Amino acid sequence: MTTVTTRSDAAPERPGRQGTVRTEGLRFGYGGREVLAGVDLDIGAGECVALVGLNGCGKSTLLRLCAGLLRPAAGRVRLGGDDLARLSRRSAARRVALLHQSAPAVPGMTVRQLVRQGRYAARGPLGMLRDGDDAVCSRAMADVGVSEWAERPVDSLSGGERQRVRLAMALAQDTRVLLLDEPTTYLDLRHQLEVMQTVVRLREERGLTVVMVLHDLGHAARFADRIVALRAGAVAVDGPPEEVVTPRLLAEVLGVAGRVGRDPEGGWPVCYPDHPMPDAELLQNENHIH
Amino acid sequence: MRAVTSFLVRRRTLALSALLVAAVGCADLVAGRALGADDVWQVLGGAGDPAARHVVLRLRLPRMLVALVAGASLGLAGTVLQSALRNPLAGPEVTGVTPGAVLGAVAATGLGLAGWRSPTAVVVAACIGGFAGAGLLWLLTGRQKSDPAQTAVHGVLVSAVLSGLTAMVLLVAPGELGSVVQWLVGSTEGRVWQHWVLLWPWAAVWAVVACVLAAPLTLLRCGDEQAAAAGLAPGRARAAALVCAVALTAGAVSAVGALGFVGLLVPHLAFALFGADLRRALPGAALLGAAVVTGADAGAQWLSRALASALDADRLSVPTGALTTCVGAALLLVVARRSVGPE
Repeated sequence: MTTVTTRSDAAPERPGRQGTVRTEGLRFGYGGREVLAGVDLDIGAGECVALVGLNGCGKSTLLRLCAGLLRPAAGRVRLGGDDLARLSRRSAARRVALLHQSAPAVPGMTVRQLVRQGRYAARGPLGMLRDGDDAVCSRAMADVGVSEWAERPVDSLSGGERQRVRLAMALAQDTRVLLLDEPTTYLDLRHQLEVMQTVVRLREERGLTVVMVLHDLGHAARFADRIVALRAGAVAVDGPPEEVVTPRLLAEVLGVAGRVGRDPEGGWPVCYPDHPMPDAELLQNENHIH
Repeated sequence: MRAVTSFLVRRRTLALSALLVAAVGCADLVAGRALGADDVWQVLGGAGDPAARHVVLRLRLPRMLVALVAGASLGLAGTVLQSALRNPLAGPEVTGVTPGAVLGAVAATGLGLAGWRSPTAVVVAACIGGFAGAGLLWLLTGRQKSDPAQTAVHGVLVSAVLSGLTAMVLLVAPGELGSVVQWLVGSTEGRVWQHWVLLWPWAAVWAVVACVLAAPLTLLRCGDEQAAAAGLAPGRARAAALVCAVALTAGAVSAVGALGFVGLLVPHLAFALFGADLRRALPGAALLGAAVVTGADAGAQWLSRALASALDADRLSVPTGALTTCVGAALLLVVARRSVGPE
């Protein structure tokens, strides 16, 4: 039996699998150092997943692999049931958008111009030469509340405002899957909440699948409906916040001794980290996880 | 409302730039010695004596047109390069493209393969040299092509080596030194219809390529990671952009030599006037480049005339490249001051 493999550029996503992300035995390394050592994740359409873990545990790498920006050493990523490696860069960007942690400043580029760049995958190099199709951009700007600055240069905005503009650019890709790499880093508390609530609201309104790398376990416990903790390139803990946010998660995955309580109003888990654990203890714990 | 205003303003800036180009072109036609504005208009109106007709139609008109197209090519090439390498200090002059093209032209002239009477051979030699210079940079930067700082350092290195090689060729084969010096400094002196016929189709083809690249290049300016996430393959787009920039530069250099600072400076003016969207900045850069080079040509001719009468010299000509370099260097200083200023 022969299988003919073609780039499924124009192929629609499989019905019933739209907006799903699945990794199968995903491995990746940078120059000999293994970063991901076989990750299997099944993320359903409309789920909101927070990826947590120590620096260098492979969270951002996993996100980049899911967006198709890196090529896995082994294993595969399936988006809406289709193998990501078979999709062209452009058709992958029509299914999944990734908001990076930071981006270089573009001198003189206005908010509208930057958001418009998110339409590249949908329109292509020649389509981008024409004006029009601005409905999606306008909606994306309205969604994150940056419409009133449309004609202002991006580099004249504050950090929090800029982050929202970049979120609008990712939304302009009009994908079912939205990946966010530490969307709240560099932001003050108020802007952190603003970004997180925008993401949660959009996810509810649009049924987006959201996977976000978060450093703040408090945000993860409050805004995500599933927490995936990575340690040493593998999934250490996976489950709803009420079940997995425990002193043990703090100790064994994040290397922090601490306590966990409940938010008196909302009921979500709240962490009270006490002190970092010595490296030796963290290593010992490595054996009796799972 | 503000969107509409800014759109109209941009459109108006483009129209004004086109007017400026036309005005500068006219100034260039009447700037030379011996014939005044009246004589030139008479010839253009179909009248005038044979000598005047010869000067205007055979010498000044092709020279002006070559200056316009060469300037437009350099403006486009610089804008494409700065966007592709995301480097405000990238230009054909400092990325090995112009020095390579000059080396090609000079070497071919020195070896007797090309010369004053065979412009086609010079174009070919300049193209080969330009691609060789860019190729050298491509090899040297290796995997760090997306790093603007690395590209800048290696570009300066490649440019210095190529300029050194040009100097060596000049020492070994000083044959047609007069024409060779014109390559080094850049001049529009003595450009005839043959140059124009070679230059414009080449420039037109690559200008179309540059316009098709406008969208990918605008996205590349947002950074490789963001561009890739939005659906662009950054490596491929950058390679295409570099080929386009080299081709445009080589065409311009083979026609008018290494006009300093045009490709480096014009993009800054274009981005400042037309914004970060290359759909407008690219045509804007072409118009501004044409205006700058043709204006410098007119200025150089006027200056030559003034200097000649002041110094009582019989024949003296200031090369256009000397003027673009001096003015360009001064303006670049302003740009550099401004970009390191308050962040």
